[in-house]
Amino acid sequence: MASGKELADFLAGVERRAFKQAQYAVRDADAALDIVQDAMMKLSEKYGDRPAAELPPLFTRILQNATYDFFRRQKVRSTWVTLFSALSPHNEDDNFDPLETLEAMPGSQSAESAADHVERSQVIAIIEEEVARLPTRQREAFLARYWEEMDVAETAALMGCSEGSVKTHCSRATHSLARALRARGITL
Amino acid sequence: MFTRNAFVGAGFAGTGNNFMNEKEFGYQIRQALNEAAGKLDYKTTYRLEQARAAALARHRETSTAPAWAPALQAAGGRSSDGGSRLGWFGSFGVATPVLALIIGFIAIYQWQQPQTPERMSDLAAMDFAVLMDQTPIRAYADKGFGLLLRGETEDL
Repeated sequence: MASGKELADFLAGVERRAFKQAQYAVRDADAALDIVQDAMMKLSEKYGDRPAAELPPLFTRILQNATYDFFRRQKVRSTWVTLFSALSPHNEDDNFDPLETLEAMPGSQSAESAADHVERSQVIAIIEEEVARLPTRQREAFLARYWEEMDVAETAALMGCSEGSVKTHCSRATHSLARALRARGITL
Repeated sequence: MFTRNAFVGAGFAGTGNNFMNEKEFGYQIRQALNEAAGKLDYKTTYRLEQARAAALARHRETSTAPAWAPALQAAGGRSSDGGSRLGWFGSFGVATPVLALIIGFIAIYQWQQPQTPERMSDLAAMDFAVLMDQTPIRAYADKGFGLLLRGETEDL
């Protein structure tokens, strides 16, 4: 069972990443903060007695579900559906998932605030923008593998898909990011 | 780490080292994202701190629930802890009503046991005396009743 200090340390270490991940998904800082707060409360209330080693994947899953709940609520409130406005399937296998290829909507406010930063900050802002533009599943897989440092099996369990799908999502996300950054003159 | 106005290395696009390049690329992106996460404005970091404090307060509430009310604790493995915390107090609370019940049964049994002959005679005498007060006068003129009276009196 995680102690209060272990839980506090974990939340302190993960809150910024969680906020950023939520912000990439929902494109709204206030909504992202609400999502992170909901996820923290759920983790503390329902799973605070789990071992400390189980907290990271639990919290990531809770955060994802909270993000999906936000989209569901938004869809109910909105007067028109924009979720499937840019479907363009790249493969025709039987396991086609529209979230694999759905492009994120352009016009994020985060990129416009990078003008006043130094070049490094501008590049970082561009990278963030391109990460946010990734299709949802590709972004989830990429961030889980390389930002949360989960292995393939853990990521597959988190996303509810096969390990092969995880590798495919990561590969496509990497190539999409590299192509997008190259188009904007950024090299890594 | 990052330079503008240059091309992403051709090695990434399609060589046999795709896996290693992908991993390195991912870690480069991670560095950038970590740096961005470290530059959040004060308003955001303050709200995150508030959210964390609220979550920890909720955790303290759920983990310090009273030991005598295990039914009120959250689902998720608390019942075993609540049961062990009852301990001797719980055993005492269960045994007391059972003991009282047993004592009551014994008392009722004893009360319903047949009375001793002396006791029964005394009771009968009392009953007879009460009946005598209530017996109408005409009954005394009856021969059978007179015999009864004489027989009962001798037995006493």
